[in-house]
Amino acid sequence: MDAGLLAQYVMNGLMLGMMYALVAVGFTLFFGVLDVIKFSHGDVLTVGAFAALATYVGLRMLGLNSSWFELVVMLVVATLAMAFLGMVIARYLVMPLRSAPALNTLLITLMLGTVLRESVRLFYPQGANPKPFPALLPRASIDLGEFNLRLDNVLMLTAGVLVIVGIQYLLNRTKLGLAIRAVAQDEETARTMGINFTAIVLVTFALGSGLAAFAGVMNGLYYNEINFGIGLYLGVVGFSAAIIGGLGSIYGAILGGFLFAGLQTIGTVMLPFASAYKDVFAFAVVIAIMAWRPTGLIREKISERV
Amino acid sequence: MAEKGHTTVWPGIAGLAIATGYLIAMLGAEKQNLIIILLAAGIVAVLAAGWLGLLETVSASFVEHEDALAACAIGAACAVAAVFHDNHFVLLLVITVLLYSVATLGLNVQFGYAGVLNFAGASFFGIGAYTSAVLSAYTSVPHLLVLLIGGLLAAFAGSLLLLPVLRTRGHYAAVVTIAFALLFKTFLEVNDVLGGPQGMQVKGMRILGWSFNDNIEIGKILLSFYMNYFVLSLLLLVGAFVLVRRLERSWIGLNLDALRLDETAAGCFGLDIVRWKITAFLIGNFLIGIAGALFGIVGGFVAPNNYTFADSLILVSILLLGGIGNPWGLMVATIIVVVLPEKLQTIQEYRFLLYALMVIAVLLFRPEGLLPRPVRRYFPGWRP
Amino acid sequence: MSALLEAHGLSKHFGGVQALDGLDLAVTANEILGLIGPNGSGKTTFFNVITGIYNADAGRVMFDGADVTNASARAIYQAGISRTFQRSRLSLPLSIFDNIMIGNHKRLKQGLWFNLAKRRDFKREFERSYADARALVEVFEPGLAGRMFEPVAGLPMIDRRRIEICRALISAPKLLLLDEPSAGMTHDETAELMNDILLVRKRNKDLTIIIVEHEMGVIERITDRCVVLNFGRKIAEGPYRSVAADAQVQEAYLGAA
Repeated sequence: MDAGLLAQYVMNGLMLGMMYALVAVGFTLFFGVLDVIKFSHGDVLTVGAFAALATYVGLRMLGLNSSWFELVVMLVVATLAMAFLGMVIARYLVMPLRSAPALNTLLITLMLGTVLRESVRLFYPQGANPKPFPALLPRASIDLGEFNLRLDNVLMLTAGVLVIVGIQYLLNRTKLGLAIRAVAQDEETARTMGINFTAIVLVTFALGSGLAAFAGVMNGLYYNEINFGIGLYLGVVGFSAAIIGGLGSIYGAILGGFLFAGLQTIGTVMLPFASAYKDVFAFAVVIAIMAWRPTGLIREKISERV
Repeated sequence: MAEKGHTTVWPGIAGLAIATGYLIAMLGAEKQNLIIILLAAGIVAVLAAGWLGLLETVSASFVEHEDALAACAIGAACAVAAVFHDNHFVLLLVITVLLYSVATLGLNVQFGYAGVLNFAGASFFGIGAYTSAVLSAYTSVPHLLVLLIGGLLAAFAGSLLLLPVLRTRGHYAAVVTIAFALLFKTFLEVNDVLGGPQGMQVKGMRILGWSFNDNIEIGKILLSFYMNYFVLSLLLLVGAFVLVRRLERSWIGLNLDALRLDETAAGCFGLDIVRWKITAFLIGNFLIGIAGALFGIVGGFVAPNNYTFADSLILVSILLLGGIGNPWGLMVATIIVVVLPEKLQTIQEYRFLLYALMVIAVLLFRPEGLLPRPVRRYFPGWRP
Repeated sequence: MSALLEAHGLSKHFGGVQALDGLDLAVTANEILGLIGPNGSGKTTFFNVITGIYNADAGRVMFDGADVTNASARAIYQAGISRTFQRSRLSLPLSIFDNIMIGNHKRLKQGLWFNLAKRRDFKREFERSYADARALVEVFEPGLAGRMFEPVAGLPMIDRRRIEICRALISAPKLLLLDEPSAGMTHDETAELMNDILLVRKRNKDLTIIIVEHEMGVIERITDRCVVLNFGRKIAEGPYRSVAADAQVQEAYLGAA
């Protein structure tokens, strides 16, 4: 294989890995704070992407045509809207079920995911069909030998890295992050230290959901298209990535995301005739990893008092 | 339990009779207005009955006299079939209810008893269906054997999927089965051998020369050919029901409950967690596979679009709506979930959304479901 | 009198915490041994390591002559060790009978064919088990004996503890581990419970008991001997009187004078 093709694969892998990592980090945040698996996370991503699209359509109708402006507004609207949605979900669906078996939370968020997905399909105009997503980033590209390096990809990768670094900074260097980590470690102690548990949970959910919106917009920009099912797929991949990285560890989530993308790339290279099987390959490896290291590559935090 | 006083079998019979009559009316109604009126009346009646405590009485009657009432239920099913003996559409609907009930009984063993999550129920159903299609198209394996093989293949596929993650936590099984559900459809679509996105035809059943796809004439009465399948499906459901009932009312059922409710403690009392999880999952998938295999033959064709993740969630919804662990609740929920969108054509398109919303409501306000699972009675009616 | 259970140099750490630190402990057959010590001294961890819930980092455990170090929980149960839990672990939706039968696992036939097909034989085993369970429950609380098919969720704490003990006893274990059985009970309830345990002991001469307790009155009354733990190691051993008077023990509980 020539260098140009290899570089292309690497680029693809990085982009996918970034998106998976963003989703996986969301899962990890929710699990860390409330010990819940929020299966609707992927579908929040979908809603976020569609919210951005709707914003774009709205802006166009108002005659505002500046790409950068549109992009910024779309991001802001989508992120804030999804942050709000995340808080509503936490407040009305997840927190009331805290005393019920964990299974119920899993089920309710799974069903919620369906509600979100079906709502987009049924109520967004032509929602059942894939919708074109505007290409708002500069289309310039540089040729490095055989490889065509696209500026928009670089921008997105950089943005993704910045967001992840930002999250890390927030969690490790700010008071809010400290509160979140405290709650994630031990709810009762955190409460006795004066931390407002409910507020922290809501903020964490808002954070994770905003992250999903960002990932959704990125997804739309990368593929120039969105459809109502992308969230489901990304959710499954993101969740698997979070598991193999080790639920509860942000680094693990990032690692898992890129690992999965890497597996998919290897799968595509090995089976060029049937690219549909790349996913089968990737998931098969993921299942093998789950069997080998049930606590994930970085330990999942399980604490059960016997 | 402190003997609250005997309930006779009559409340159960009354409840069954009323429900059967209602079902016949609903199945026979054609005009959308009439259907909506019937639906509203039904909801009001159930709510009133619940408020008056009548539902509890009927429930208690079923618990005490389950064998007798089960026999009556079989009679009721036959009555429904008899009323619609020449109506292809209604009979097909009834068969769908019967076979979906078998599948959800299987899911119940996995989920309701053993607590093993399976979000790929429709995929295993599909494995059974495609087995029928492939075997009847390319081989001359006797059709009853085809059903059996469909069940076994579904069980085998399930074990491949689940064995690696059995020692891990519940959400691993969840993500593994969801991934499988998503990939299965894609797998079917890209494989032209299996008919690709269009699917495959499935030949009609023949047992000992009797063709199931010919209408039957008895004197002046014409019976739809679906009657053949109705009888077979009913037999399958009865068999599945007896199997699942006995399973629950045995030490095995107890083992499954124990490991679902507290794995650590169960291990301390000698339970082989892995063995029983596998057993439950295999039995469950076997039932799902057989139901799928028969359903493929009844429908006459199989296509990837019928076995999606959304369909798997419908099966899970039935379980949650009806009352996890209660086979009777399960069958009532199956009737509701299958019949309603067929009669109320307007909600067909919205059914995934609707059922998801209903399940959310149930989980928030009545997690036990429509008919909560009663305490285990190893031999109904037995007194020390 | 031979040692039924022996632990040699048992160690277990969790992250930075050394829960068991080279613990040596022996229990002779038929005795009632009290295991006491301040919070966090390793008592429950000891139980958890013995019963196979955690693996020891170092050391050996011998039971009835066999090496059971790091044996699985199932193997420990089969060998004849049964336990209750500090935090009540009954299956709440299940009936009293069901909960007790969970403890009876090794005496019940578990074959698929037996359970599904041979219903008459199964019924006989069921009726026999019912009689056994009922008899056991009657020792502790005759009022419950007629309510064997009520869900446990509706019972008060003391009855739940009794059921838990019945669950541990139904399989006729050689060694019974009781983890704070009196937690959450009043004085009178505790006294009643202890009487019942002694009664069971009288009927079942082969039973050896290790009891973890914070209520010293209980320990004083029913144990033959005590072992005191602190920071995962044994600091005193002997009859309650002598152990209570031990300076090191007092310091462990109350702090340096």
